[in-house]
Amino acid sequence: MFTDKIELKDIDKMDPEYRELLGHVLTIQADCEIGGPHLYVEKMLPAAPTKLDQLIIARTAAEEVDHFRKVARVAGDIGVDVSFVLSQPNEKRFVETFRGVITTWEDNAVFGFLIDRVGRYQLEEFYDCSYLPLQRILPDIVTEELGHIEYGYNKTLELIKSGDQGKEKAQKAVDFWYVRALDMFGRSGSKRSERYRYWGLKRRTNEQARQDYINEVNPILTKMGLKVPDPNKGRRYH
Amino acid sequence: MPQAAPNTEKLDEHLLEVVRALHGAVKQGVSHANDPKVMDNAIKDCKEILDEILAGNVKEWLN
Repeated sequence: MFTDKIELKDIDKMDPEYRELLGHVLTIQADCEIGGPHLYVEKMLPAAPTKLDQLIIARTAAEEVDHFRKVARVAGDIGVDVSFVLSQPNEKRFVETFRGVITTWEDNAVFGFLIDRVGRYQLEEFYDCSYLPLQRILPDIVTEELGHIEYGYNKTLELIKSGDQGKEKAQKAVDFWYVRALDMFGRSGSKRSERYRYWGLKRRTNEQARQDYINEVNPILTKMGLKVPDPNKGRRYH
Repeated sequence: MPQAAPNTEKLDEHLLEVVRALHGAVKQGVSHANDPKVMDNAIKDCKEILDEILAGNVKEWLN
């Protein structure tokens, strides 16, 4: 296992596999950061239930654009240009969850609650990672992601408390996003994931991170009065 | 030091300006929560800025 800590000035001395993996993970991270606003701004900014919610959506999008900027800077400094993801159509996003458009308020709420939480897990993978410039941008990004998760949770809870119809809508959205969230962790036993761990770029295997997520989310869903969806129904990766 | 990707600095600067403009508009709207007209204008500003970013015409921004 590689345990050194790497600065930008050291990157040219690193093994090509390290540079390739770092460039790849930064490209995917940048794509996910900008993929969020591409999913919800078009329909939800005009349609959010209150003006304050509209402004919160705009603020969330601003934060995601800023996360993209920070990741793009770390990538750009090592010679990896991720700017192409800014003009990429949604159907070409690296992660399938981002290939679409959010058209309902309940999907927007649950997206924040469940999918931004996966975003937090992905970022936590880089805690104490071997590439220090990446590690340095994490605290502010994670703090903002926590705000997005909390907002999504609160809006989902509001829906549930609004009555049977609201609860039904929330459950339907959870059924849709839950399996997508689990798929976002990637295949169990992934060889690439092993190499990330070898080079100190990630902490957990895909299956460990997914299990940690399940252990965190399932009790929250139950406490909210929702059913935990079948974790295997509709899954693409196991 | 490694060679940075072209326009890394310029893109960073442009996006930082965009983010600041968005936060400014949001702040303006949120701090006038009792004035629907100010809020509407702030939302409109945010939408215009975000539409431009989501259109992703990177070359245009950097020239």
